[in-house]
Amino acid sequence: MRRVAVIGVGVTKFGRHERTSAELFAEAAADALADAETPASRVQALYYGNVVGGETEKQLHTGPQAASVLGIPTVPTTRFETACASSHAAFRHAVMEVGSGASDVVLVGGAERVLNVPTADSTEYFAYASDASWEQTLGLTFPGVFALVARAHMHKHGTTEEQMAAVAVKNHKHGVLNPKAQFRKEITLETVLSSPKVADPLKLYDCCPFTDGGAALVLASEDVARRARRPIWVLGSAAASDWMLIGDKGDLSRVPATERAAAAAYRQARIGPQDVDVVELHDCFTIAEIVATEGLGLFEPGAGGLAAEKGWTSLGGKIPVNPSGGLKAKGHPIGATGAAQICEVVTQLRGEAGPRQVEGARRGLTHTLGGNTATVLVSLFGRD
Amino acid sequence: MTESTVTIGRFFEHVRDGALTAIRCEGCGALAVPPKELCPECGARRWEPVPLSGDGTIASYTIIRVAPRGHADEAPYAIAAVRLREGVSLLGRVVDVPLDALAIGLAVRFRPIVVKDRPVVGFGPA
Repeated sequence: MRRVAVIGVGVTKFGRHERTSAELFAEAAADALADAETPASRVQALYYGNVVGGETEKQLHTGPQAASVLGIPTVPTTRFETACASSHAAFRHAVMEVGSGASDVVLVGGAERVLNVPTADSTEYFAYASDASWEQTLGLTFPGVFALVARAHMHKHGTTEEQMAAVAVKNHKHGVLNPKAQFRKEITLETVLSSPKVADPLKLYDCCPFTDGGAALVLASEDVARRARRPIWVLGSAAASDWMLIGDKGDLSRVPATERAAAAAYRQARIGPQDVDVVELHDCFTIAEIVATEGLGLFEPGAGGLAAEKGWTSLGGKIPVNPSGGLKAKGHPIGATGAAQICEVVTQLRGEAGPRQVEGARRGLTHTLGGNTATVLVSLFGRD
Repeated sequence: MTESTVTIGRFFEHVRDGALTAIRCEGCGALAVPPKELCPECGARRWEPVPLSGDGTIASYTIIRVAPRGHADEAPYAIAAVRLREGVSLLGRVVDVPLDALAIGLAVRFRPIVVKDRPVVGFGPA
């Protein structure tokens, strides 16, 4: 495999938009191409993430639609759907296309529009990522899946609702520093603990919001990247799956797909968790961040709650997690999330993250989880 | 598909009749929740249906308070992952247990329930 680098990034403001997902992607992609100082005519393929376009926008075939709205209608496009990990899956496959020598410049991105439908509808559409025959019929929701994880983690490790709330407080504090974030206000432990229950023990402020937004990045081969302003190298990118049914997963206090994807990505990069300086991980719910910090090897199993409580994952802490504000405060436009996380880590490794910069960051990790923990992607990045 | 494989449709017909049916690999004896074409343990493709006792304990649980559009009129309702005595686990609705009495380790027993005219896996007090 040839070396591959990210040479340009672009992200829309996250929140409510009155534009289609294709328009949101196109804005982010044009920004990414400008950032890469690369004309659109150099792009040889588009790898695209979009999840509920069929439901919220009555739109399938979103790959060529996105390319047409951007203005590159003739490049081959492929749309990826791995629930919330879709554009991270798109990224991994794009890395293989460039790494294999098939293409030199590839565009990766994703977009989602959900705030144009009522919450009860978006809750139902997101639940489509769990099994239709076994779980949707029970009325299982996406918060419900992570509530089961939370209860199991609390039972096994003594993790508390206060420790989960500390994740939300920390990510909201980071979000204040990110002009693209959906929420830019600090909250307190009390804000979280007194918010209405969604799926016990998870409360409203344990949950990330519904979000519209787009994100994109430009991937290039080493030859092309050497002429770029500030290439950030892809050191590894790995995917893992797990059983679809909750009942088949075994110990619900763990996410084995995170552990497998992380092990594979660290092996590719020939580094370990101790070598990582900044992390953007999938905090769709506060418990998800705690379990991910353990699965990625940043903390021992069961120590993730303590790490959040002690501030070890805050900016300025031992290992800053989600300096962007994470899904919790930055927002979670599901088809765009994986790409947006990569954009943040690239910005951090370039030293261009302004007030939320992790000082001296040389290596970064992104982690994106799909739906009911059945898909996880982990990628590692480094600067020269 | 071998003839003895339990399809999803057949599993829920059995649920409607008050029975839980797992499948056992004729190659290695592994027990699984249907349907599985290949045994994840040994790769064999021959299964036999096995009735389950329906006795189990709660491995984790939640109370859904914000429900999807199709279930909004049922909230709040409890969903639990239940580890059955035979070793396999199933997700199901928990009924006739006070919401504040739910706990990991609580003994429960299978009962068929109907949600939106469809038979689903349910659990009640043991």
